[in-house]
Amino acid sequence: MENPKILIVDDDPNLRHGLRTRLRANHYDTVQASDGYSAIAMAQKERPALIILDLGLPAGDGFVVLKRLQDSDTLSNIPVIVLTARHADSNEQQALQAGATAFFQKPADNRELMAMIRATLPNAWPVTALPS
Amino acid sequence: MIADRPGRTDSPEYFPPLIPISLPPGGGSADEGGTVELSSSLRADLLDLDAWAEILTTYGRTMKIAVALTDVDGHVLGKCHNAQPLWTLVHNAARNWTGCPFCISTGLPCTAVAQALRTSRVAMAHDRAGLTHLAVPLLLGKQHLGAIIAGQVFTRYPDPLQLQRVAKGSGISAQQLWNVARKQCPVSISSLQASADLLLVLGQAFLRQRYSAILEGKLAQANGHFRSLVDGLRDHALFTVDATGKVTSWSFGADRMFGHAVAGIVDQNFSCMFTREDVHNHVPEKQLSEALRVGRVEDEGWRIRQNGERFWANVNIAALSTDSSPVCGFAIIAQDMTERRKIVIVLEEARQERARIQEKLLSHVSHELRTPLTAVYLFTTNVLDGLLGDLTPEQHEHLTLALDNVKQLQSMVNDLLETTRVETDKLALEPQHVNLVKLIAEVLITCRANATAKHINLRSDVAPDFPFVWADPARLRQILINLIDNGIKFTRERGNISVQSRHIEEDNDFVRISVSDTGCGISPENCAIVFERLAQVKGTTRASRSGLGLGLYISRDLVSRQGGRIWVESQLGHGSTFYLTLPVFSLAKLYARIFTAPNLEAGFVTLIAVDLGSVEGAVWLDTIPEIRRILERCIHPGQDVLLPSLNDAEQVGTFFIVACTDANGFSIIARRIRTALQDFSASKVKPAISSMTVLLAAGQSREGQIGEVTTQIELLVQTHLVGKTKLK
Repeated sequence: MENPKILIVDDDPNLRHGLRTRLRANHYDTVQASDGYSAIAMAQKERPALIILDLGLPAGDGFVVLKRLQDSDTLSNIPVIVLTARHADSNEQQALQAGATAFFQKPADNRELMAMIRATLPNAWPVTALPS
Repeated sequence: MIADRPGRTDSPEYFPPLIPISLPPGGGSADEGGTVELSSSLRADLLDLDAWAEILTTYGRTMKIAVALTDVDGHVLGKCHNAQPLWTLVHNAARNWTGCPFCISTGLPCTAVAQALRTSRVAMAHDRAGLTHLAVPLLLGKQHLGAIIAGQVFTRYPDPLQLQRVAKGSGISAQQLWNVARKQCPVSISSLQASADLLLVLGQAFLRQRYSAILEGKLAQANGHFRSLVDGLRDHALFTVDATGKVTSWSFGADRMFGHAVAGIVDQNFSCMFTREDVHNHVPEKQLSEALRVGRVEDEGWRIRQNGERFWANVNIAALSTDSSPVCGFAIIAQDMTERRKIVIVLEEARQERARIQEKLLSHVSHELRTPLTAVYLFTTNVLDGLLGDLTPEQHEHLTLALDNVKQLQSMVNDLLETTRVETDKLALEPQHVNLVKLIAEVLITCRANATAKHINLRSDVAPDFPFVWADPARLRQILINLIDNGIKFTRERGNISVQSRHIEEDNDFVRISVSDTGCGISPENCAIVFERLAQVKGTTRASRSGLGLGLYISRDLVSRQGGRIWVESQLGHGSTFYLTLPVFSLAKLYARIFTAPNLEAGFVTLIAVDLGSVEGAVWLDTIPEIRRILERCIHPGQDVLLPSLNDAEQVGTFFIVACTDANGFSIIARRIRTALQDFSASKVKPAISSMTVLLAAGQSREGQIGEVTTQIELLVQTHLVGKTKLK
């Protein structure tokens, strides 16, 4: 069986690289995007099982990406875990209301993040197939 | 000292002794002015010759004797009024007269003045020729001002032999002298004595009248000075009001500040300078009665100018009292603080602006720091967890140390950001009822790993039925974790840390939580500063320096903003105990938010019970928070309150709402709840919504009503729960 695919959206290549290693060790496949625009494009193309999303992004910040995902018929059911350097006080509620499944502040504890991914994925898997 | 000089008569064997005349009762020795040291200018004023001239001339003419004012040494001041012919003849002829001014025999000074002043009585003296005069003392209290001498008359037939001697000394012919003397009408001793009595009374009365006139003049002058001083204070309003608050005087500064002219404001009540709200709340009356009670009141607040403009004023009210009436009015000084207030506001804005910039900078910096920190964390943990292959024990050890340092750096970045948030008041607190037993247990689980690593025994001692506290659970957790982590840092291996909570005996409204360790302790001088910002205690071990010293500073802010207090008790070498107090949760506190006077006016409070029926299993417990959020949306925030889960009522599926409304309002709320819960797919239950109305006793104070309603609601909640359990 194919491993679940996770889209990592972050403008820091180091984070994407480090997180990819961790996710692969936990038997997840990863795809990556470094800005808001390519995040949507990548989501449409790859149909990931889950998106790990940074909030501070070039070309459309995380909230814009969240809204685009929610507004899309095909992408709205992909769970999104927000992983950001921004403070939880002013962003967590906003992110959850915008449709995020969970909110983590960087650096997130590996065990907690992996537990959240595991808890989120079985419910969302498999992604609804496209009509065409 | 004149009074000490022995009295002398010119020739006692020849002349009859001086006849003492006693002062009339009440005259002369009156005590007023006795204690006042008269200045030389006041003395000169009192003996002003022009003022005395009229009375002395009149007296001399009426009594047909000569009269003059003298100083204390017996020298005549000014001229001699109604001088007698014989005396005039001799004195005109003689040059450089020495001796008594009213005698015609030369050489001997007047003893009458000295004696009169010494004895405070009228004294009489005769010269060799038999010419007689009196001296009347002028005294103000015990102070000698001078004397009035009167006489130059014979009290018996003139002695030609003596007149001859006088003539020889003065160079006038004896015949001429004799002719004048013969024509001068003698005055009997008794009528002279009567004249003296009259003169004494007259003199003293005039002196006193003159004294009071001078004092009044000075007072008026002083008043004038004071007035100009008062009016000169342009930035202060000074005015007086009577006991009822009516304005009785009004300074120029008051005119300037309040805009009322004197004519318009005098007799008006000073409440016209207060805001309408203050007048409505009886603030003016309250301030006067407070000033009456304690003597002086200071207040800062809004006042109104005549043109209706508001200004911020500092006002001092002092009660004025005299001997005759305890309080006859109030003196009020007002100062326009508008400018100063503006400065304070500008300064505060500047401070906030600075804090905002600092926060912006620090939040940017910490954001920027977090990104590389996250990368380091990820790479370190990836290697450490063996994702890239096995490690030698030494590699493992080094990476563990690296990870420790990453975590330290991370907490520093967090503290830095927290601190700026403390200073910009951005730390939002959401107090709610908190189960301390549960919260402390959770905190201990979080801290257990660190404690176990150092073999530290971490335990708690909290009674299971401990009251709920009113606090922000996330913040409280943060504070306790900080205190325990501190304890772990400073305690050696195999030490003890214990968390306890206790009731405070003297204050039922608060509980006290303590975190004690068996660490190195804090010296008394450091106990005072550990809560300061960036407190770094000198001479401690390396362990203490791993941090920015902001944790306790943040904790203190968080505790005090939740209404509590934090402090430390410690002994060097014997460990430390940190204490913090928190307010106990009470339903009355919760109700106080909605039981406002207008809400209670209707006289109804309704308890709404929403029974969802108990559902087995975890699904139900998971949905409780979601159901609470739904119910929260169905009520009016300022009027109704959703009760927190009390006595685990929610475990049996019952939620309570206290609403300040009647049956009509209840039906609206019930309809909303039904609709909202229908949309909530997770609950497949049909809610049973019932209401119980509490009638308020009229005519009670708000506190009394809150107390009573609280008791009644608690009873209803219990009854409802018991009834439900029975039905099951």
